[in-house]
Amino acid sequence: MSQLGRVKQWNTFARCWHLFDAAWQNPLECAPSIEKYLKGLNKPIYHPLVDCGDHVVVINSKQIAFPGEEWRRRVYFHHTGYSGGATWTPAWELHDRDPTMIFRKAVYHHMKGNLFRRVVMERLHIYSDSNVPEEVIENITNQIPPLRSIPKTLGSYSKEEIEKYPKIIDYPEDFILSKN
Amino acid sequence: MLTLRRATRVLQVLNTTQKCEQSFHRWLGPTLRELKRRKDSQGPEKPAHRKTFLEWNYDTEIYAFSKRLGEEFNNDLLQQALTERSYIIREEERQKNVGIEQPTLNLSDNKELVSKGSDFIDDIVKRYLRTVLPRLPEEGIIGIHKHLTSIQTLSHVSFHIGTSDLILCADFPVEKLTLSNVLKSIIAALIESSGNSRAALFVRDFIITQLADKDLHQFWEPDEPIKLLSEILARDGIQSPEPRLIGCSGKNTILACFRVGLYTPDDKQMIGLGFGETVDIAHEMAARDSLRKLFGTSDNILLPFNLKLDQLCASSARNLSVTEWSQKTIPAHPSHFELRQAKEICSN
Repeated sequence: MSQLGRVKQWNTFARCWHLFDAAWQNPLECAPSIEKYLKGLNKPIYHPLVDCGDHVVVINSKQIAFPGEEWRRRVYFHHTGYSGGATWTPAWELHDRDPTMIFRKAVYHHMKGNLFRRVVMERLHIYSDSNVPEEVIENITNQIPPLRSIPKTLGSYSKEEIEKYPKIIDYPEDFILSKN
Repeated sequence: MLTLRRATRVLQVLNTTQKCEQSFHRWLGPTLRELKRRKDSQGPEKPAHRKTFLEWNYDTEIYAFSKRLGEEFNNDLLQQALTERSYIIREEERQKNVGIEQPTLNLSDNKELVSKGSDFIDDIVKRYLRTVLPRLPEEGIIGIHKHLTSIQTLSHVSFHIGTSDLILCADFPVEKLTLSNVLKSIIAALIESSGNSRAALFVRDFIITQLADKDLHQFWEPDEPIKLLSEILARDGIQSPEPRLIGCSGKNTILACFRVGLYTPDDKQMIGLGFGETVDIAHEMAARDSLRKLFGTSDNILLPFNLKLDQLCASSARNLSVTEWSQKTIPAHPSHFELRQAKEICSN
């Protein structure tokens, strides 16, 4: 192979690193788009037997969101292998124990089970908050857009913003809005 | 060797077949196994020349060979082209051994034809390369020419047009040097039979087309591309290009990939792009890339193979050497694209 052919090959199969912010995102909805990058489905060179997947760094997995009653109703099953060893852990409890587990399981279960699944999962790096090691941050070259926009919570408004907000009526002076 | 035990077993099996009627041949497996064992014990079969077969007719084969190539050959010349000196010597010795004191063979060897064909191939290949790659330095032309006329390439071509069975030589299987020599002599025979232009087409179709789909710079790699590039640009009055890191992925990993672009300091134009596992390699590849662009040998060029003898440049023409190469002094040759267009207009 000529010198140019070698570096061409290297460039074609270079692994990119993507960043994904999981705050306020539903992990079950995110799984397909994360899987796309992990397996390299978005690349023209993709083939099931070609190792062309990218790395994905997921941050803020502690702040994932589930719709409705999902935190209480969704149950994760585990069996120790011994008789009577079955346990059913609700999602909120599992999330308390390990904030990265629900996201990891969501991606893992979305993928088709084959010998490559665990290899592909090794390229998924999940962090519960935004404290990511510097050497991992330096690798990142792309950001995966969040599926849902993050709503602004009432508590995040500053005092000035609240005062500037247009009012319909003026409350009487002795009217108590909140105890704070 | 057939052991006694094995033989008795086969005999036993044979006896049983005669006694009771089986629905299948019980002797077949053991017999085949025994035959296979005997064959294996003899070692691999020695290759035999096609002429040792019964229905070998050399004259017919030579005639068919020339017709397969689609060329008009003088039969005696073709016969001479396929005859090596070693064959004549061996045949004469054989006759002497039999007792003939003055052996007479009406054969002449291809020594003269080889040198004539060799000169012709050298000339055509160089002229073709200089015509289609007018911007490539002479060193590059010589490198590509060396590859095309190497024993490796010529013997490959010669073997695949089917000369190996027709060559009269002492060595069997035929050596690569012999194969390439015979190809040269066949071309010389073609010159004398059908003329120069026909032979030039033969060289083009069988030898020059070996370049298709190959990276031209693998035959000639400048040792220090960065230094060479800045020297060449300096001759045109351009300052040495500034490298910029324009992309990297996974920089802390073992699979890191960097992309480096070379920019001219004055008008900020990108003149080359390279990539590689380290920044230094990417920088070097970027310099090589800009050299490719200057020399008109990018990896995506299409060489026009449809040139005839009268479209090639003169034998005396030379490309510029690397040491004096500059864009100002490059002569105005037609580019590949223009050549292609010219061909299309002619054909219409």
